[in-house]
Amino acid sequence: MLGLAASRKFGWRLISKPDEELIAEALGGESSAFSELATRHRARVERLCQRFFSDPEIARDLTQECFIRAYTALASYRKEMPFGGWLRAIVTNLCYDELRRRRRRPEELVGDFSAMEVQWMHLVNEATPEQLVSDAEERRHAHDLAHRLLDTLRPEDRTVLIMKDSEGMNVSEIAQTMGWSAAKVKIRAFRARQALRRESERLQAAARRWSS
Amino acid sequence: MNCFEVRQDFPAFWRRELLEYRRAEMNAHLDQCSKCDGAFRTFAMTAPVLHSEHAPQTPAGSGARPREVALGSSARPASSARVNYSEPRRWLAMCASAIIFIAASTGAYLAVTPPAASLSEALTSPREPSMQDLFGPDTPDLSNDLAG
Repeated sequence: MLGLAASRKFGWRLISKPDEELIAEALGGESSAFSELATRHRARVERLCQRFFSDPEIARDLTQECFIRAYTALASYRKEMPFGGWLRAIVTNLCYDELRRRRRRPEELVGDFSAMEVQWMHLVNEATPEQLVSDAEERRHAHDLAHRLLDTLRPEDRTVLIMKDSEGMNVSEIAQTMGWSAAKVKIRAFRARQALRRESERLQAAARRWSS
Repeated sequence: MNCFEVRQDFPAFWRRELLEYRRAEMNAHLDQCSKCDGAFRTFAMTAPVLHSEHAPQTPAGSGARPREVALGSSARPASSARVNYSEPRRWLAMCASAIIFIAASTGAYLAVTPPAASLSEALTSPREPSMQDLFGPDTPDLSNDLAG
């Protein structure tokens, strides 16, 4: 009896339900169904926000904003698209808008790096690929430096790069999500890679100068 | 492996998802091809963000816990709905409470109830109680006299 009451109160029965049923229940006024959806997808949404912003506070705020938007727009959700994909479109547009709001023009990669960041750049120049792979995951400054490098890109370039490389989306999916033409997506991806290679080479050259 | 295949496999190599022989081929190729080696080093500059499965942990105390999202009264379908991020912890607490409650109830039941074997024996015994059962072992058995 206690278990039954608890399951009713905390929504244990919701765990096994597919997203579509939970959405139908949420639309019918069952708020715990949407809570279960949020719990299910929160980690993925937050991870995507972290690719756009290094500050975990901003990532968390955007994650919550994403679920608020999803909740208010739930009636417009169509079953043809997976709920995760629909959420991803919301969070990507949210992060893109936030990038544009925070920075109207891309920042120059300034030269004030910490000793650890310089050490990491030196490692990128000198270490074997195996060493790089094993070291990077544990290094906070590798992550920070990667964000600084991505900060030099224009918002649309960064968005395309994240969607293409991190999320594995193809050109037409990106175009549909962002409301852009396929040609624009291709151009932005090309420019993003060009800019990234240029900045990265500048950084590596600087690191070589510092170390010599 | 040619250059195209090697570059296609950079993300898998970074996430350590390549099979051992493929990994060895990748290392051998990067050792020989300076262009791919340079491309990998450029890739490695952004891979901690673009290709990692998770962001590195922030130092303790630097980040607040996720707050609950209180949806405003304009939100539909119910204004009291909340996105509750601490649900698993509450489930754990409820499970622990339920287990303690069940254990305590079982203990209390066993403490006040006679052993099930003697109770069932008394209820199902076909023999009627004798005079000795009722008045003690010294009581003479008069059942035959009474019957005669």
